[in-house]
Amino acid sequence: MMRPALTTALRAATRPSFAARVSPTLIRFAHDHAQESFEQFSARYVSFFQNAEDLFEVQRGLNNCFAHDLVPSPEVIEAAVKAARRVNDYSTAVRIFEGIKEKVEKKSQYQDYLLELKGLREELGIVLKEELYPETA
Amino acid sequence: MQAAFRLARHSASLRASTSIRCLATTANPAHVASAPATSASSSTAKPSIIPLSNVEAQWEKMSTEEKATVYEQLEEAMKKDWKLLSIDEKKAAYYVAFGPHGPRAPVSKPGDNFKVFAGTLALMGVAGILFYAIRLASPPPPRTINKEWEEAANQRALEQKMNPITGIASEGYSGKGFVTHK
Repeated sequence: MMRPALTTALRAATRPSFAARVSPTLIRFAHDHAQESFEQFSARYVSFFQNAEDLFEVQRGLNNCFAHDLVPSPEVIEAAVKAARRVNDYSTAVRIFEGIKEKVEKKSQYQDYLLELKGLREELGIVLKEELYPETA
Repeated sequence: MQAAFRLARHSASLRASTSIRCLATTANPAHVASAPATSASSSTAKPSIIPLSNVEAQWEKMSTEEKATVYEQLEEAMKKDWKLLSIDEKKAAYYVAFGPHGPRAPVSKPGDNFKVFAGTLALMGVAGILFYAIRLASPPPPRTINKEWEEAANQRALEQKMNPITGIASEGYSGKGFVTHK
Protein backbone atom coordinates (compact mmCIF):
# COMPACT_ATOMS: atom_id res chain seq x y z
CA MET A 1 0.00 0.00 0.00
CA MET A 2 2.72 2.32 1.02
CA ARG A 3 5.22 1.08 -1.49
CA PRO A 4 3.79 2.34 -4.81
CA ALA A 5 3.31 5.81 -3.36
CA LEU A 6 6.88 5.87 -2.16
CA THR A 7 8.29 4.84 -5.53
CA THR A 8 6.27 7.49 -7.29
CA ALA A 9 7.57 10.12 -4.95
CA LEU A 10 11.14 8.93 -5.39
CA ARG A 11 10.81 8.86 -9.14
CA ALA A 12 9.48 12.37 -9.12
CA ALA A 13 12.41 13.46 -6.99
CA THR A 14 15.02 11.86 -9.26
CA ARG A 15 13.45 13.21 -12.41
CA PRO A 16 15.33 16.28 -13.59
CA SER A 17 13.46 19.48 -13.03
CA PHE A 18 11.88 19.54 -16.45
CA ALA A 19 10.53 23.04 -16.49
CA ALA A 20 13.76 24.69 -15.42
CA ARG A 21 15.76 22.92 -18.09
CA VAL A 22 13.42 23.38 -21.04
CA SER A 23 12.06 26.84 -20.56
CA PRO A 24 15.08 28.83 -21.83
CA THR A 25 14.93 27.16 -25.24
CA LEU A 26 11.32 28.22 -25.64
CA ILE A 27 12.20 31.91 -25.54
CA ARG A 28 12.67 33.23 -29.02
CA PHE A 29 15.62 35.53 -28.86
CA ALA A 30 15.09 36.55 -32.47
CA HIS A 31 12.08 38.55 -31.36
CA ASP A 32 14.20 40.63 -29.07
CA HIS A 33 15.44 42.78 -31.94
CA ALA A 34 14.08 46.26 -31.60
CA GLN A 35 11.92 47.32 -34.51
CA GLU A 36 13.12 50.60 -35.97
CA SER A 37 10.31 53.10 -36.04
CA PHE A 38 9.76 55.44 -38.98
CA GLU A 39 11.01 58.37 -36.89
CA GLN A 40 14.20 56.52 -36.01
CA PHE A 41 14.66 55.59 -39.65
CA SER A 42 14.25 59.21 -40.69
CA ALA A 43 16.61 60.45 -38.02
CA ARG A 44 19.20 57.86 -39.03
CA TYR A 45 19.15 58.86 -42.67
CA VAL A 46 19.01 62.59 -41.98
CA SER A 47 22.21 62.29 -39.97
CA PHE A 48 23.67 60.00 -42.62
CA PHE A 49 23.11 62.51 -45.39
CA GLN A 50 24.30 65.37 -43.25
CA ASN A 51 27.58 63.56 -42.71
CA ALA A 52 27.97 62.18 -46.23
CA GLU A 53 31.15 63.49 -47.73
CA ASP A 54 31.20 62.45 -51.36
CA LEU A 55 28.98 61.38 -54.22
CA PHE A 56 29.59 57.70 -53.64
CA GLU A 57 28.45 58.06 -50.06
CA VAL A 58 25.33 60.02 -51.02
CA GLN A 59 24.33 57.60 -53.76
CA ARG A 60 24.95 54.61 -51.54
CA GLY A 61 22.76 56.18 -48.86
CA LEU A 62 20.04 56.88 -51.42
CA ASN A 63 20.12 53.31 -52.67
CA ASN A 64 19.70 52.02 -49.13
CA CYS A 65 17.15 54.60 -48.09
CA PHE A 66 14.89 53.99 -51.10
CA ALA A 67 15.20 50.22 -50.81
CA HIS A 68 12.71 49.97 -47.93
CA ASP A 69 8.98 49.51 -48.11
CA LEU A 70 8.34 53.16 -47.32
CA VAL A 71 8.74 56.56 -48.88
CA PRO A 72 11.45 58.55 -47.09
CA SER A 73 10.08 61.48 -45.16
CA PRO A 74 10.53 65.04 -46.50
CA GLU A 75 13.25 65.70 -43.90
CA VAL A 76 15.29 62.84 -45.30
CA ILE A 77 14.74 64.07 -48.84
CA GLU A 78 15.78 67.55 -47.83
CA ALA A 79 18.95 66.26 -46.20
CA ALA A 80 19.69 64.12 -49.27
CA VAL A 81 19.19 67.00 -51.69
CA LYS A 82 21.41 69.21 -49.59
CA ALA A 83 24.01 66.47 -49.56
CA ALA A 84 23.80 66.33 -53.36
CA ARG A 85 24.34 70.10 -53.41
CA ARG A 86 27.33 69.74 -51.10
CA VAL A 87 29.00 67.19 -53.37
CA ASN A 88 28.05 69.30 -56.41
CA ASP A 89 26.02 66.72 -58.25
CA TYR A 90 22.95 68.19 -59.88
CA SER A 91 21.83 65.00 -61.56
CA THR A 92 21.57 63.17 -58.26
CA ALA A 93 19.34 65.93 -56.89
CA VAL A 94 17.01 65.51 -59.88
CA ARG A 95 17.17 61.76 -59.48
CA ILE A 96 16.02 61.96 -55.86
CA PHE A 97 12.74 63.54 -56.95
CA GLU A 98 12.42 60.93 -59.68
CA GLY A 99 12.89 58.32 -56.97
CA ILE A 100 10.05 59.75 -54.91
CA LYS A 101 7.83 59.62 -57.96
CA GLU A 102 8.63 55.95 -58.33
CA LYS A 103 8.08 55.16 -54.67
CA VAL A 104 4.81 56.89 -53.90
CA GLU A 105 1.54 55.05 -54.24
CA LYS A 106 -0.59 57.80 -55.75
CA LYS A 107 0.19 60.79 -57.93
CA SER A 108 -1.36 63.08 -55.34
CA GLN A 109 1.25 61.96 -52.82
CA TYR A 110 3.99 62.95 -55.25
CA GLN A 111 2.33 66.33 -55.63
CA ASP A 112 2.29 66.64 -51.84
CA TYR A 113 6.01 65.95 -51.72
CA LEU A 114 6.65 68.51 -54.44
CA LEU A 115 4.58 71.09 -52.60
CA GLU A 116 6.34 70.35 -49.32
CA LEU A 117 9.78 70.66 -50.93
CA LYS A 118 8.94 73.55 -53.26
CA GLY A 119 10.99 75.98 -51.21
CA LEU A 120 14.02 73.76 -51.30
CA ARG A 121 13.74 73.22 -55.05
CA GLU A 122 13.46 76.92 -55.73
CA GLU A 123 16.29 77.71 -53.36
CA LEU A 124 18.65 75.30 -55.11
CA GLY A 125 17.23 75.69 -58.60
CA ILE A 126 16.33 72.06 -59.10
CA VAL A 127 14.25 71.28 -62.17
CA LEU A 128 12.31 68.05 -62.14
CA LYS A 129 12.97 65.34 -64.67
CA GLU A 130 9.52 65.70 -66.20
CA GLU A 131 10.27 69.40 -66.69
CA LEU A 132 13.66 68.64 -68.24
CA TYR A 133 12.25 65.97 -70.51
CA PRO A 134 8.54 66.55 -71.01
CA GLU A 135 6.71 63.48 -72.26
CA THR A 136 6.31 63.93 -75.99
CA ALA A 137 3.90 61.08 -76.52
CA MET B 1 32.50 42.70 -56.66
CA GLN B 2 32.46 46.00 -54.88
CA ALA B 3 36.10 45.56 -53.97
CA ALA B 4 36.93 44.98 -57.61
CA PHE B 5 35.25 48.23 -58.59
CA ARG B 6 37.07 50.09 -55.90
CA LEU B 7 40.38 48.63 -56.95
CA ALA B 8 39.69 49.53 -60.56
CA ARG B 9 38.80 53.05 -59.58
CA HIS B 10 41.83 53.38 -57.40
CA SER B 11 44.27 52.34 -60.09
CA ALA B 12 42.52 54.58 -62.59
CA SER B 13 42.73 57.55 -60.26
CA LEU B 14 46.50 57.24 -60.21
CA ARG B 15 46.56 57.96 -63.89
CA ALA B 16 43.66 60.31 -64.40
CA SER B 17 43.50 63.61 -62.65
CA THR B 18 39.74 63.44 -62.15
CA SER B 19 38.54 60.64 -59.98
CA ILE B 20 35.12 60.62 -58.41
CA ARG B 21 33.98 57.98 -56.03
CA CYS B 22 30.54 56.93 -57.12
CA LEU B 23 28.37 53.87 -57.37
CA ALA B 24 29.17 51.62 -60.28
CA THR B 25 25.45 50.99 -60.72
CA THR B 26 24.77 54.57 -61.70
CA ALA B 27 27.15 54.38 -64.65
CA ASN B 28 28.47 57.75 -63.70
CA PRO B 29 30.88 59.08 -66.26
CA ALA B 30 33.58 59.18 -63.63
CA HIS B 31 34.34 55.75 -65.03
CA VAL B 32 34.22 57.17 -68.49
CA ALA B 33 36.48 59.95 -67.38
CA SER B 34 39.07 57.61 -65.95
CA ALA B 35 38.71 54.94 -68.61
CA PRO B 36 40.69 56.56 -71.43
CA ALA B 37 43.68 57.17 -69.20
CA THR B 38 45.70 54.53 -71.05
CA SER B 39 45.25 56.18 -74.42
CA ALA B 40 45.24 59.71 -73.05
CA SER B 41 48.80 59.31 -71.86
CA SER B 42 49.96 58.76 -75.43
CA SER B 43 47.81 61.38 -77.14
CA THR B 44 47.86 64.67 -75.34
CA ALA B 45 45.55 66.30 -77.90
CA LYS B 46 42.43 66.96 -75.88
CA PRO B 47 39.19 68.10 -77.43
CA SER B 48 38.49 71.69 -76.53
CA ILE B 49 35.17 72.98 -75.26
CA ILE B 50 32.26 70.86 -76.44
CA PRO B 51 28.87 72.59 -76.61
CA LEU B 52 26.50 71.10 -74.07
CA SER B 53 23.42 72.07 -76.01
CA ASN B 54 22.59 68.74 -77.61
CA VAL B 55 24.57 66.17 -75.69
CA GLU B 56 21.69 63.67 -75.82
CA ALA B 57 21.89 63.30 -79.57
CA GLN B 58 25.68 63.25 -79.76
CA TRP B 59 26.50 61.15 -76.72
CA GLU B 60 26.43 57.77 -78.49
CA LYS B 61 28.73 59.01 -81.23
CA MET B 62 31.25 60.74 -78.98
CA SER B 63 34.65 59.26 -78.38
CA THR B 64 35.68 58.39 -74.87
CA GLU B 65 37.89 61.47 -74.64
CA GLU B 66 35.04 63.71 -75.69
CA LYS B 67 32.79 62.12 -73.11
CA ALA B 68 35.42 62.74 -70.47
CA THR B 69 35.66 66.38 -71.56
CA VAL B 70 31.91 66.81 -71.38
CA TYR B 71 31.91 65.28 -67.96
CA GLU B 72 34.65 67.57 -66.73
CA GLN B 73 32.81 70.59 -68.11
CA LEU B 74 29.65 69.51 -66.33
CA GLU B 75 31.53 68.89 -63.15
CA GLU B 76 32.83 72.43 -63.22
CA ALA B 77 29.41 73.81 -64.12
CA MET B 78 27.71 71.97 -61.27
CA LYS B 79 29.99 73.61 -58.73
CA LYS B 80 28.30 76.92 -59.45
CA ASP B 81 24.97 77.97 -58.03
CA TRP B 82 22.48 75.65 -59.66
CA LYS B 83 20.10 78.50 -60.33
CA LEU B 84 22.66 79.95 -62.74
CA LEU B 85 22.84 76.76 -64.80
CA SER B 86 21.20 76.90 -68.19
CA ILE B 87 18.52 74.37 -69.02
CA ASP B 88 20.92 72.77 -71.49
CA GLU B 89 23.51 72.25 -68.80
CA LYS B 90 20.89 70.77 -66.50
CA LYS B 91 19.65 68.42 -69.19
CA ALA B 92 23.18 67.42 -70.11
CA ALA B 93 24.07 66.75 -66.47
CA TYR B 94 21.02 64.57 -66.00
CA TYR B 95 21.48 62.77 -69.30
CA VAL B 96 25.15 62.00 -68.76
CA ALA B 97 24.51 60.58 -65.30
CA PHE B 98 21.13 58.89 -65.64
CA GLY B 99 20.11 59.07 -69.29
CA PRO B 100 19.05 56.08 -71.35
CA HIS B 101 22.47 54.98 -72.55
CA GLY B 102 24.84 52.21 -71.61
CA PRO B 103 23.33 49.98 -68.94
CA ARG B 104 20.18 52.13 -68.84
CA ALA B 105 19.47 51.87 -72.55
CA PRO B 106 15.92 50.69 -73.13
CA VAL B 107 15.75 47.00 -73.93
CA SER B 108 13.18 47.33 -76.71
CA LYS B 109 12.65 49.95 -79.36
CA PRO B 110 9.21 51.42 -80.05
CA GLY B 111 7.44 49.20 -82.54
CA ASP B 112 9.01 46.03 -81.18
CA ASN B 113 5.71 44.96 -79.64
CA PHE B 114 4.01 45.11 -83.00
CA LYS B 115 6.80 43.05 -84.58
CA VAL B 116 6.42 40.36 -81.92
CA PHE B 117 2.64 40.35 -82.39
CA ALA B 118 2.91 40.14 -86.18
CA GLY B 119 5.53 37.39 -85.96
CA THR B 120 3.34 35.35 -83.63
CA LEU B 121 0.35 35.72 -85.94
CA ALA B 122 2.47 34.68 -88.95
CA LEU B 123 3.70 31.56 -87.16
CA MET B 124 0.17 30.65 -86.15
CA GLY B 125 -0.92 31.07 -89.77
CA VAL B 126 1.88 28.81 -90.98
CA ALA B 127 0.89 26.19 -88.41
CA GLY B 128 -2.75 26.34 -89.56
CA ILE B 129 -1.80 25.99 -93.21
CA LEU B 130 0.42 23.03 -92.37
CA PHE B 131 -2.42 21.40 -90.41
CA TYR B 132 -4.94 21.62 -93.25
CA ALA B 133 -2.34 20.65 -95.87
CA ILE B 134 -1.59 17.47 -93.97
CA ARG B 135 -5.31 16.75 -93.56
CA LEU B 136 -5.79 17.18 -97.30
CA ALA B 137 -2.93 14.88 -98.22
CA SER B 138 -3.76 12.13 -95.73
CA PRO B 139 -6.07 9.13 -96.45
CA PRO B 140 -9.66 9.11 -95.10
CA PRO B 141 -10.27 7.82 -91.54
CA PRO B 142 -10.63 4.02 -91.08
CA ARG B 143 -14.03 2.49 -91.87
CA THR B 144 -14.48 1.39 -88.26
CA ILE B 145 -14.67 4.92 -86.97
CA ASN B 146 -18.35 5.77 -87.46
CA LYS B 147 -21.49 5.48 -85.43
CA GLU B 148 -22.97 2.50 -87.28
CA TRP B 149 -19.91 0.36 -86.84
CA GLU B 150 -19.69 1.22 -83.14
CA GLU B 151 -23.34 0.33 -82.55
CA ALA B 152 -22.80 -2.95 -84.35
CA ALA B 153 -19.84 -3.55 -82.09
CA ASN B 154 -22.13 -2.97 -79.08
CA GLN B 155 -24.61 -5.55 -80.36
CA ARG B 156 -21.86 -8.06 -80.88
CA ALA B 157 -20.56 -7.39 -77.37
CA LEU B 158 -24.01 -8.04 -75.90
CA GLU B 159 -24.34 -11.28 -77.91
CA GLN B 160 -21.07 -12.44 -76.49
CA LYS B 161 -21.95 -11.23 -72.93
CA MET B 162 -18.75 -9.28 -72.84
CA ASN B 163 -17.62 -8.05 -69.39
CA PRO B 164 -20.77 -9.22 -67.55
CA ILE B 165 -19.87 -7.94 -64.07
CA THR B 166 -19.00 -4.27 -64.49
CA GLY B 167 -19.11 -3.69 -68.24
CA ILE B 168 -21.44 -3.54 -71.20
CA ALA B 169 -23.24 -6.84 -70.59
CA SER B 170 -23.76 -6.29 -66.85
CA GLU B 171 -27.17 -5.70 -65.25
CA GLY B 172 -28.40 -2.12 -65.32
CA TYR B 173 -25.59 -0.92 -67.54
CA SER B 174 -26.20 2.67 -68.60
CA GLY B 175 -22.99 3.51 -70.45
CA LYS B 176 -22.48 3.96 -74.16
CA GLY B 177 -20.37 0.89 -74.74
CA PHE B 178 -18.23 1.28 -77.81
CA VAL B 179 -20.06 4.30 -79.18
CA THR B 180 -17.86 7.37 -79.11
CA HIS B 181 -19.69 9.45 -81.71
CA LYS B 182 -22.46 11.76 -80.61
